[in-house]
Amino acid sequence: MAQETPGLPEQQSTQASPIKQILNFLSSMQLGIILLLLLAVISVFATTQEMNTAISSIYTSWWFVGIMAFTALNLLLCTIERIGPLTRQAFQPKREMTADGIKKMQINRVIKVKSPGDEPLASVQQIFKSNGLQTTVQETSEGITLFGERGKFGYFGSIVTHLSLLLILLGAMYGALTGYETRNGGMSGDNFFVTQGNWRADIGEVRMVFEKDPTVRPRVYSDVTITRNGKVIKEGTVSINDPLRFEGTSIYHSTFLWISQVNITDPATGTVEELKFFEGDRYFLQDKGVQFESLAFFPDFTMAAGGRPTSKSYNPNRPVLAYRITINGQQEPWDLLELNEPATLETPNGPVEITLTGFENAAVYSIAKNLGRPILFIGAVLMVIGLYMSFFLFPRRFWATFDAKTSSLVVGGRGYRNRLGVEQIMERIESEIRNREGE
Amino acid sequence: MGGLINVSPTGLLVENTLFVIAVVVYLLATVGYVINLFGKKEWGGFAANTLRVAFLIHTAFILTRTVNVMRVPFVGHFEFGNMFIWSTVLVYAWTEWRLKDKYHAVGAFLMPVVMLYISYITLFPKISRAHNPLPPVLQSNWLKFHVSASVLGYAGFSLAFAAALMWVLKYVMENKKDAVKGSPFLKTLTQALPQPRVLEEYMYRASVFGFLFQTVMIITGAIWADQSWGRYWGWDPKEMWSLITWFVFAVYLHARFTRGWTGKKTVALVLVGWVAMMFTWMGVAWLLSGIHSFG
Repeated sequence: MAQETPGLPEQQSTQASPIKQILNFLSSMQLGIILLLLLAVISVFATTQEMNTAISSIYTSWWFVGIMAFTALNLLLCTIERIGPLTRQAFQPKREMTADGIKKMQINRVIKVKSPGDEPLASVQQIFKSNGLQTTVQETSEGITLFGERGKFGYFGSIVTHLSLLLILLGAMYGALTGYETRNGGMSGDNFFVTQGNWRADIGEVRMVFEKDPTVRPRVYSDVTITRNGKVIKEGTVSINDPLRFEGTSIYHSTFLWISQVNITDPATGTVEELKFFEGDRYFLQDKGVQFESLAFFPDFTMAAGGRPTSKSYNPNRPVLAYRITINGQQEPWDLLELNEPATLETPNGPVEITLTGFENAAVYSIAKNLGRPILFIGAVLMVIGLYMSFFLFPRRFWATFDAKTSSLVVGGRGYRNRLGVEQIMERIESEIRNREGE
Repeated sequence: MGGLINVSPTGLLVENTLFVIAVVVYLLATVGYVINLFGKKEWGGFAANTLRVAFLIHTAFILTRTVNVMRVPFVGHFEFGNMFIWSTVLVYAWTEWRLKDKYHAVGAFLMPVVMLYISYITLFPKISRAHNPLPPVLQSNWLKFHVSASVLGYAGFSLAFAAALMWVLKYVMENKKDAVKGSPFLKTLTQALPQPRVLEEYMYRASVFGFLFQTVMIITGAIWADQSWGRYWGWDPKEMWSLITWFVFAVYLHARFTRGWTGKKTVALVLVGWVAMMFTWMGVAWLLSGIHSFG
């Protein structure tokens, strides 16, 4: 994306071949800026849409992905185009410079000195070194030139940053193409099979650990064993912020659910059905012609203002299940079932007794395989390094020579992206030279 | 559900008192900087010292709040905003010290912005200062890195915004030389403002600082999201607006150091970037819905 001044467009259009012109356009920074701004504007619009709509109709659309791919192409071409010139710029500096050449630099100083010849230059060499510049002395037929430089790796900051962005895009693409995402879960003793990964998960103990403040959502830990063809490939505990990882796949704790254990007893026959209900589950009692529906579980039940049932905390101080029955398609008003306190329902085919006998938790997992994760990580680290190199390792170069015609030291400096920084160093150098000259 | 931490009355009193004192002293520093801007140079040093005192009191408030909530005070709109204000003052005070108090004029533009931030977190009725416990999803060391990077990034952008405002004012003044000549007030003001070239450099350096931390914030957020939610990027509005802010500043920095853009175009980009940052902080919280509902 970044490109140094390529010359006048007119010159390019008359000198370059059409293919070169297309490549110039594709690698130009103008295009990069336009693409970034376009992505920003589209993203602004997308955030005004409902999130799932934005994901399905904008962020994952062919044209949005196309713009990102175009941006990646722009980055890649620009990076390739710049590597050569930047390497030359960094490692093949022009070390010899005449006094007139130095005077032409935008940042330069001409300082009259008392003692002519090599002595002031030796002094400047020390000053260069004390300012952290790697100094070399170049002798030519026109005289001696001191050359000092620092921060040459700063030239590669933009290249490293561009590469990091490319790696991030590559990692995201690779992860999306080779991975999958799904959701599953269950309570203690349950298992599920993930077809995409050809493995099975058996859920062991699911336990809830309360926070000091019981009104804060507790942590749920669940033991999971992963097997393939009967062979254990991974065992571990999954909890929030602590996923189980194997083969590039991660099982994350997403949330937990309450499960109510309910016994339904027919007093006439004495038969007992032991059932487990998630919130929202329904069960049809065939012989009684009624439907039982579990509405919500409240671990620490209380009635809020307005007759709305709620839970004071996550501690199971007073477990209550809100339920509703439907008789012949007619919904009855909801009612509450307290722990171990049976309720008798009158149905057209005789009474039935329901009891909340217990409760437990189920863990819900987000499962994702993402082989692009290491690439993304390397990309992220490189990006920070690249930005640091770009902004904090600014390359600076200084030249100094003795101008015999005017008995002056001529010092000049150039920087890459940080003129003010070069000016500040030049001020220091000048002040130190003047100090040594006793001014 | 969602209870409060039981804070002792003394703890609460100390916390509230320190906050009020910090705000009052910040206001005093703001007044000092503004007076300095209008030619009373002796007020510059006073304002800078007052700001340092206010910052120390503010730091004491944050420490008290940390003790009271028994965790890092990084959660929720109030605590995030508070840390953001603290970081902005820290970064500004540091630059002032680094530049040997040469640019007190910046304070006259930055501090009113800081006062606006303070007004927002204290007066906006939807913002709660309640002492809430930390939900398990936020009980992660990534919270510290993510929020620290975020507030430092925002601080850099706020400084860049202040410099951009000064540049705009300087530009307007220089284009209305006749009006400035006839008004001693405007003349003093123009003289107090640094040269546009200096302001652009200040704006650039502040943006670089902000951009670096904004990048770290996005990266740490992605790593944390990957651990916590199972994906590093979820197209959540907060994530997207952080990225939009990043895009705007990326364009600015690119344009400046590779194409040599200066002046109006770059100032406009910084102003737009600041608006995007503010929307990420305020707008997303109240106008858009997403999973960053905790802050």
